[in-house]
Amino acid sequence: MRSIEEQEHENEAMESYLSFKLDDEFFAVDVKKVIEILEVPGITSIPLSPDYMAGVINLRGKVLPLIDTKVKFGLDPIEFTVDTCIVVIEIEVEGEVLQIGTLVDAVLEVLEVPQSSIQPSPSIEAKYRLDFIRGMIRREEDFIMLLNLDEVFSIQDVMYMQEANETMSSEELTEK
Amino acid sequence: MENLHNVYLEEVEDLFSRIEESLLLLEKSPDDPALIAEVFRSMHTLKGSSSMYGSNKVADFVHNLETIYDRVRGHEIDLTQPIIDATFKSLDHLKKIVQSPDIPDPIDAKYHEKLTADILGLLDEYSGGATIVKSENTSRKSTYFVSFIPDKNIFANGTNPLLLVDELRDLGASRVYTKISKGLTSKEADPKECHTSWDFILVTEEDENPIKDVFIFVEDTSKITIEKVADVDLLSISEFTSKLPSNDLNAKPPTLKEIKKWASAIPKDILERVAEEVALNEEVDDTDKDEKLQRSHTQEEAITSIRVSSDKLDELMNQVSELVTTQAGLSLYAENNFDPLLNAIADNVEKLSRQLRDIAFEMTLIQISNLFRRFNRVTRDISTQLGKSVKFITEGGDTELDKKIIDSLADPLMHLIRNSLDHGIESREERIKLGKPEKGTIKLSSYYSGAKVYIQIEDDGRGIDAQKIREKAITNRLISKDDDLTEKEIYDLIFMPGFSMAKEVTDISGRGVGMDVVKKNILDIRGDISVESKVGKGTKIILGLPLTLSVIDGLLVKVEATSFIVPLVDIKKCFEIKREELSNDFNELITLEDEKIPYLDLRKEFLIKDDNPPEKASIILLENEENKIAVCVDSIVGEYQAVLKPVGKYYRNQEFVSGATILGDGSIALVLDAYKIIARKIVKQKKSA
Repeated sequence: MRSIEEQEHENEAMESYLSFKLDDEFFAVDVKKVIEILEVPGITSIPLSPDYMAGVINLRGKVLPLIDTKVKFGLDPIEFTVDTCIVVIEIEVEGEVLQIGTLVDAVLEVLEVPQSSIQPSPSIEAKYRLDFIRGMIRREEDFIMLLNLDEVFSIQDVMYMQEANETMSSEELTEK
Repeated sequence: MENLHNVYLEEVEDLFSRIEESLLLLEKSPDDPALIAEVFRSMHTLKGSSSMYGSNKVADFVHNLETIYDRVRGHEIDLTQPIIDATFKSLDHLKKIVQSPDIPDPIDAKYHEKLTADILGLLDEYSGGATIVKSENTSRKSTYFVSFIPDKNIFANGTNPLLLVDELRDLGASRVYTKISKGLTSKEADPKECHTSWDFILVTEEDENPIKDVFIFVEDTSKITIEKVADVDLLSISEFTSKLPSNDLNAKPPTLKEIKKWASAIPKDILERVAEEVALNEEVDDTDKDEKLQRSHTQEEAITSIRVSSDKLDELMNQVSELVTTQAGLSLYAENNFDPLLNAIADNVEKLSRQLRDIAFEMTLIQISNLFRRFNRVTRDISTQLGKSVKFITEGGDTELDKKIIDSLADPLMHLIRNSLDHGIESREERIKLGKPEKGTIKLSSYYSGAKVYIQIEDDGRGIDAQKIREKAITNRLISKDDDLTEKEIYDLIFMPGFSMAKEVTDISGRGVGMDVVKKNILDIRGDISVESKVGKGTKIILGLPLTLSVIDGLLVKVEATSFIVPLVDIKKCFEIKREELSNDFNELITLEDEKIPYLDLRKEFLIKDDNPPEKASIILLENEENKIAVCVDSIVGEYQAVLKPVGKYYRNQEFVSGATILGDGSIALVLDAYKIIARKIVKQKKSA
């Protein structure tokens, strides 16, 4: 016997999210934005790029920029293990659709959740920038943070960080 | 619907440029029937597609124009300047209204009506005095006697004489008589030999040469006689044909002598009558031919080219590069696995993928004439505006370049041509005074040389005075008084950002407005630009461009674990040194061949962890027009043909990386931009100074 609530969910549009892990926290992205999931191949790093830009990889003849999602979220740089994966996602940047690879600690599963069970992100917990989080999904004990991809990986942000980096490095230079 | 509109716009755009091109040529030779036919055809197509798309206003408008050209084509009216001018005006108007075919703007609508009235006026004016002009070069038909006696052994060469007979009959109306060698019985006949010969009475518009050409491969061995019998179509004269024997094997074929006798026996008045009929039929024939031409023309086009979106080509290039990479992996594996069969397969795959790569690369190239065509029109308009008369010549339009390069050439070339028109070419009066031809000339040409394509813009205008540039540069503090500059260096000054010519100098040379932008645009596509000029004689600007943006010849080098590609064109020399030679030097200068050259250590520059640098290092000497920089890397691997791929927007700030390429083992090498590397060093030097 299914509960009324579940039946209601049945009638509602279900949405799919891919969940993954960074350190011990859970995140999820809209499956529609995910192109594929890769094992980590050889990475070519590009000199003098910001820390969270992990380099480029060869994705079947295309050069795919790679982002260390952990650095981007203010965590320690990723350490490569057997579980480390690249989630290739599609985002819209400056009116153009781009593909980028995001490094994550582990890919977990695809969740089917009804729209209504997505809760707004609590504004109190300001551990991550709020415009990065689209909402939260409750899963047993854990909360999964639903990412707003276009915002997380926007180039403006990249440029901003870049400038900060450059001023820092030039300051370092003058100090020397 | 949106998509349909785009397709329609794309098609008419193409037609517009085709009509424009033909019209410009027609201005020079208004009688060329092929050009007139081309204009008519394009207009006809334009009308067709417009009404198919549903823009009846456009279709009706074009219809009137088409009518004019139909009459021009039919020799009813002459193609005059007013007609050409009106056509140009109409084209400009059409370009505007195809965007929104309902003509919502009332000003446009008014103009539309005015133009329509103008064209109808032109039509009225000319149709009144329409006369049928007999074309002068009425093609004359002649009658030939041709005898073809093949060599007995003709079959041994694999030649089928019947095919030659057919080919000859294609030239015109004919009578063919077949003869079999005399006294031949079926017993004696060798089936491997040819005992048949043919006599023809052939009526054709061609002269003897095409007839000879039919037999070109057998003329040495076979006996061929070609003789003209009459200047008219004898086969259409019953007095002649009635004398000809019937066409069966037993009848005795007529000899050349007999034919000539019969031909001369035809009364003169009959000959004249036939000639007249021919002339009268001309008109009909002509239109007939045009239609045929048109049909064959469109057919040809349908077969020889197709439209493919450039996205698809890019995707193809990606796949091909991937294939080449995969194949490199396969070859490597086969080499290590001593299996002869696998080796053979790998070799084959390598061959095929190389061919495929070449074809794919070639497909991304387009002819530069696409670009030149645009300037034709612009030159005409600007020179009229300026009241100058200019002959615009283009050469080498068939030179092929990467589409991306051609796209980014449009603006700089436009700028240079405008400069030539505006400042280079003198006014008509001035030219006459100077004893120059009244019409100025601007020549736009392009050609291959080595691995580069060169584009030249040459005018016979007043030239640039090097002395004046020098003076100007000194007042602008770009150079100091004592600087000793070569002529080339002086001319290069006009590409400096701070070098804007003031009014008084404009009178003498005037170039330099925005030339720095031109240079930047050319550098962006890895090209170079230089100027040659003689005062009073003219100016030549030369652009050197890479063939393609997608493949470059480079030197593969390594710094720690990272591979880099340095474009070969920027490399002057390579040296091997010991690393300690660098570390001892505080000023970051290295002595190479008795010359002190500033160097850039990529290990340091790219902040690569300096754990254990190899003892030996390699120096690559980079050079551009102004500077020499030595770049230090760990090792040189060798030459590499790199397929350039963008690294993406995320690395926009790492501008010294112009792209990436995929190596044989699937790893990625970064392609360095030599200019940016040099600039980096210069900036550093200045900072420390």
